[in-house]
Amino acid sequence: MFSTPHKLVFTIIVSISAPQVDLWGLDSNDSGIEFFEKRIRPLLVERCIECHGPEKQKGGLRLDFKQGWEVGGDSGPALVPGDLTESRIIHAIHYEDADFQMPPKNKLSDEAIADLEEWIAMGAPDPRSGAVTDSRESGLSVEEGREFWSFKPIEKPKVPAVEDPLWQDSPIDSFIRAAQEAGGIDPAEKASRVDLVRRAYFTLIGMPPSPDQIESFVQDQRDDAFERLVDELLDSPHFGERWGRHWLDVARFAESSGGGRTLLYKDAWRFRDYVIESFNRDVPFDQLVREQIAGDLLPYNTPKQRSRQLIATAFLALGPTNYELQDKQLLRYDVIDEQVDTLGKAFMGMTLGCVRCHDHKFDPIPSEDYYALAGIFKSTRTLYNYTDNVARWVDTPLPMEGVKANELADAESISTELKPQLERKKATQSVFSQHTVNVPKPGPPKPSRLFPGIVVDERDAKVEGAWQFSQYSQNYLDEGYLHDGNIGKGEKAIMFSANIPITGTYEARLAYAEAANRSTQTPVTVSHSKGETAVIVDQTKPPSEYGRFHILGRFEFEEGHRSNVRISNRNTDGYVVADAVQWYLIEDESVIKSNARKEELAKLKTEIKSLESELKPIAQLLKARPIAMTVKEDPEPSDSAIRIRGIESRRGDVVPRGFLQIATLGDTTEIPHNESGRRQLADWIVSPDNPLTSRVIANRIWTWLFGQGIVSSVDNFGTTGQPPSHPELLDYLAIRMQELDWSVKSFVREIMLSETWQLSTQAKSNVVERDPSNRLLAFYPKRRLDAEQLRDAILASSGDIDLALYGPNIDGAGEINANSTAAQKIEYNYVFKDKRRSVYTPAFRVKRHELFELFDFGNINFTIGQRNTSTVALQALYMLNNPFLIDQSHVAAKRLIQDRQNPDERIELAFETTLGRAPTDEERRLIADFLSNGQTSDSVEEWASIFQSLFGSIDFRYLN
Amino acid sequence: MSEQPQHYPISRRNALRQMACGFGYMAAAGISSQQAMASSIANPLLPRTPHLFPRAKRVIFLFMAGGVSQVDSYDYKPLLYKKDGDMLDFTDQRILAKTGMGSSQRVMKPLWDFKQHGQNGAWVSDLFPHMAKHTDEYCVIRSMHTEGVAHGPATLFLHTGSTNLIRPSMGSWISYGLGTESQDMPGFVSLSPSFGNGGPRNYGNAFLPAAYQGTAMGRAGMEATKIGIDNLRNNSLSPDRQKRQFDLLQSMNHEQCQSQPGNSELEAVISSYELAWRMQSNAPEVMDISKESAATKELYGIGEKHTDNYGRQCLMARRMAESGVRFIQVNYSDNSNNPAWDQHNDMPKHKEHALAVDKPVAGLLTDLKKRGLLEDTLVWWGGEFGRTPYAQKNGTGRDHNPTGFSVWLAGGGVKPGLIYGATDEWGQYAIENKVHMHDLHATILYLLGMDHEKLTFRHEGRDYRLTDVHGNVIHDIVA
Repeated sequence: MFSTPHKLVFTIIVSISAPQVDLWGLDSNDSGIEFFEKRIRPLLVERCIECHGPEKQKGGLRLDFKQGWEVGGDSGPALVPGDLTESRIIHAIHYEDADFQMPPKNKLSDEAIADLEEWIAMGAPDPRSGAVTDSRESGLSVEEGREFWSFKPIEKPKVPAVEDPLWQDSPIDSFIRAAQEAGGIDPAEKASRVDLVRRAYFTLIGMPPSPDQIESFVQDQRDDAFERLVDELLDSPHFGERWGRHWLDVARFAESSGGGRTLLYKDAWRFRDYVIESFNRDVPFDQLVREQIAGDLLPYNTPKQRSRQLIATAFLALGPTNYELQDKQLLRYDVIDEQVDTLGKAFMGMTLGCVRCHDHKFDPIPSEDYYALAGIFKSTRTLYNYTDNVARWVDTPLPMEGVKANELADAESISTELKPQLERKKATQSVFSQHTVNVPKPGPPKPSRLFPGIVVDERDAKVEGAWQFSQYSQNYLDEGYLHDGNIGKGEKAIMFSANIPITGTYEARLAYAEAANRSTQTPVTVSHSKGETAVIVDQTKPPSEYGRFHILGRFEFEEGHRSNVRISNRNTDGYVVADAVQWYLIEDESVIKSNARKEELAKLKTEIKSLESELKPIAQLLKARPIAMTVKEDPEPSDSAIRIRGIESRRGDVVPRGFLQIATLGDTTEIPHNESGRRQLADWIVSPDNPLTSRVIANRIWTWLFGQGIVSSVDNFGTTGQPPSHPELLDYLAIRMQELDWSVKSFVREIMLSETWQLSTQAKSNVVERDPSNRLLAFYPKRRLDAEQLRDAILASSGDIDLALYGPNIDGAGEINANSTAAQKIEYNYVFKDKRRSVYTPAFRVKRHELFELFDFGNINFTIGQRNTSTVALQALYMLNNPFLIDQSHVAAKRLIQDRQNPDERIELAFETTLGRAPTDEERRLIADFLSNGQTSDSVEEWASIFQSLFGSIDFRYLN
Repeated sequence: MSEQPQHYPISRRNALRQMACGFGYMAAAGISSQQAMASSIANPLLPRTPHLFPRAKRVIFLFMAGGVSQVDSYDYKPLLYKKDGDMLDFTDQRILAKTGMGSSQRVMKPLWDFKQHGQNGAWVSDLFPHMAKHTDEYCVIRSMHTEGVAHGPATLFLHTGSTNLIRPSMGSWISYGLGTESQDMPGFVSLSPSFGNGGPRNYGNAFLPAAYQGTAMGRAGMEATKIGIDNLRNNSLSPDRQKRQFDLLQSMNHEQCQSQPGNSELEAVISSYELAWRMQSNAPEVMDISKESAATKELYGIGEKHTDNYGRQCLMARRMAESGVRFIQVNYSDNSNNPAWDQHNDMPKHKEHALAVDKPVAGLLTDLKKRGLLEDTLVWWGGEFGRTPYAQKNGTGRDHNPTGFSVWLAGGGVKPGLIYGATDEWGQYAIENKVHMHDLHATILYLLGMDHEKLTFRHEGRDYRLTDVHGNVIHDIVA
């Protein structure tokens, strides 16, 4: 349980000689060495070497010999002799960056800092020898990795010959039997028809067969009876509910975000329905991959297809995102990390999350590969923006068909036409009534709307370069202002822009808070109808207008045109600040006070009112259209820089968008600079050359059919995963998947029709001894019903189940704002009471259905390739005392008492509806005894007790 | 049936996994691997001996959700009185996270007067008059700092060591490392946890085996008298009738088990019913405080209007500690995004919360000490972060302050009466002997006898730790 890491990551071989002073170099450096020995060496020993010495090398850095700091750690040399600003150690000891403070616990004294600065300034004389051999081990190189089984090309293996004729028809059986023959064990008998029909129902549709359905299969004498049963079940609409659920596990599907402030994913049910429908329609698996990664970018013929493909991208969006994380760039990379990690596991069985911080320690995946993928998702919008206090996801209205579509299209075109008109009229109104505005006094911050004319705040301006937001000088408009930090001169500009509503002469004015440290020569360019005019502003001087605005000049502007005011920090000699720009119309008093103006204003008021009332219902109509949770392309796709040790603010080299080198065996498509690359990524994942994808899905399906995989670590096909028990069978299946055009149904059918799948759970005598974990599948593994099967089986047995297909299932989720406290209350106060199939049970991340929580649903935040099976007392308490069990037992009892009069027939039917078989003699006796000890054998209470005992019994909870 | 061994059953698959894990641990602990395999297969929750000297056997964590103001409680800063009302430039963490900039803020003096208490002369404000009487029993760490500016991330960080990624909770790590001494009770209990700010993730096992997940008893906002283990009672059957039904179930199970003799997983199902039956009989007694003496109840403030609710839970915590529960968290919280102590615009409301917890917490310390339990029980009092020394948005409250705040630890091998670390003159930034939340985690594991760098779990090919790649044990505070 306590274990030491398996590999030393950084093998650093060092030889250190005893500390010595280089006597021969005295003339040039003696005072420096003396300084080092007296002031620096003790300081390093006392405060640094513990973490950067022979014991630990945090950040890969050593400070106990000269070459240690010369070579440096993960982010390069620790210091540059003679150059304080380029020396990382100096920034660290000054505690400038909250993420990078050394020593971490206590800041060095001012004296110690001064010593270190002096030492570096004098050229960092350091007599300590010792050499670092930097053989950073990162698991396998890409070349070495090509020899690992899962990265080798998939080749169709030769089907082995087996002796037993029964096992020769299906290649699957031949592979399985050959390994058994080699291991000297014999397979179990074929399962009984009663066991087989129950197994097939639970496996394919997740529910038990009714007594009639059992009977009809048991009585079916035709040779192909089982084949017919399988086909019938594959055609059932409930197939998608069971098999869609498997994929929803992989897709870590949930209907809320969990995390800090849990938000309701009110439209996530559309993704669930998309998955169920896809499995029902047998949409080829490669198509499913494409749609989930890049559905928004795929061509389409109908609005319905478009909707489907848009909905599919929720795969990327519905992870456990902590939307309220304040550092939005960190959040952005956390989201990307979650996407890369989920994508890697779900489709390729690769654990990529750890590569965020360093090369994969075990698999041949360098950091570059991670950031190549990260670039693709960085070029994808998953968060609506990176500024909201509580971030939001991307909601996309779905295209509609028929009348509704026309209605919406009309509404949209009216909206696009009228909205600019309304805005222009409002702007005209505001410049015409600018004289009536009661301008706020100079002083504390005020909203920009209180000022006359057209005012554009810095919030709505376009910026170039890294401006900084501030609220320091208090006389700003709205929320604050920007400044250039007095650095990066010539690299920063900010542009304010307005639509001119009416032709005329305007005074352009710039708002800023003056101070002594400001630039005296801030260049401002105003574009107007005659061209451009450059103005220089002295920002140390107070602005003349209401203590806030400085007049840039008077210019002519034409209505309907845009006017731009651009402020740069080129050649400036202090802080450049920008808060807002105002366009103030210059008119004669006579015009302003004229009756014509009064009439114009009155007319504008009426027009504005009528436009607003026209737009209101349209806005409502547009709001009510169906919405899907999606991703979309970022308007400016770009590559990502490596983040050193995964820390967002520490950038390394920029890596072009791309894929994993190790899984690239064929040609890849270039990612165009103006695309995210998701389309190309999806193509690469499902390419026949990709050695992972078809192996991983074939193994997943095998696992869902047998309860154990050929590769038992279903989400990890890397070097730390488990090797396949039957490598050739796995490759056969992977190729078969592709030959069947990725049809899941055909693939499932082939496996289920094999002898292997139809074996009994009773092992032959020597089998368990020789193969205790049943890797050779000499018998069918007895499996416990999972949480959904258990709940659905109880509801189906009692007859209380609601089999409605598809559709939302969270009461009250409808039209609420998902990003609100009301939405959280829906989750927190939710009472799970519907009787629908479990796949529709609200999949909240915080408030889970109790049965799912207890019966190993697993962690809804991760890809779940395989459910665990734990057996704990809290499950037993649930079976003994939970009201759901008690109620359902009563429902079943009432029905039974009505349906059958004879006590023996009742016992018979109770067993058939619950366990799918007749009672054994002993069971019959136990029930009879129980009833004879009771008050009346006709009471619902007694029969409810019997049903509850049946629900709790091993044969109900386990499948043969 | 009664002859069934008292096993805490797990599946074969888990057992095999346990076996693999058990090896490494036992090797480290110097116990024979045979013994290791035997015990860990049978029961993942059996008590285990750690490989360092354990100073504490269990933890009671009194979680003050929302963030208690350090400058109004344990971190006395005279400068705040002097500069009260001045507008000064501060680096506000929220504005900093979004804009990278400082901002001008109004200094706000403490709302409660500070006095020195105890032999150690610790400064404590009138906010906590009862806890102030115990300053010689606990060690106040005034130099805490942590990750996360908002409640969700910071609360998750406090519990799991990560603001956003899915990681096991500290209680799960501890159960995994040490097992539990109680076979009738869960090993990790969270009393009245909130749905908010991470909800179940704060007591979740994440990728650790399910046996290590925390058991929630009650929910935030629920009256303490209603707290219990879910499904512990049958509200439909009389005890006699339920016994009849239980016997029928187990007889059928034994009959059905015959078809596959020796299948340990099926046997585990039968054992799980046995244990459930025992829990049903014994756990209510552990939770039942009615037989406690009037004096004990009075000590915790039970029966008094303000203190009844938290007092009951603190007393339950003591009873659970006695019965061998390894990690007991007593939440003072609610279900909102702005939990109890989160006074953004109404600092005086701190008093309301202090009234509710002060006497019960002091009572718990007295009671534990009296019973000799404090020696090997580590009591941790604190929140996910502190509060700013200035008023938020120039108003009457204080905003979150993750860069410097106070918590205290009592018992379990911690130096009593020690005042450790310091913040700057404003009480905003920890500057001296800084203790990061990762360091606190490492130290708590150390006190329990575990090396935070060695308590690892392999998941998806990587060894995970509570402290990720960080954390230093604060040896200075260890007695």
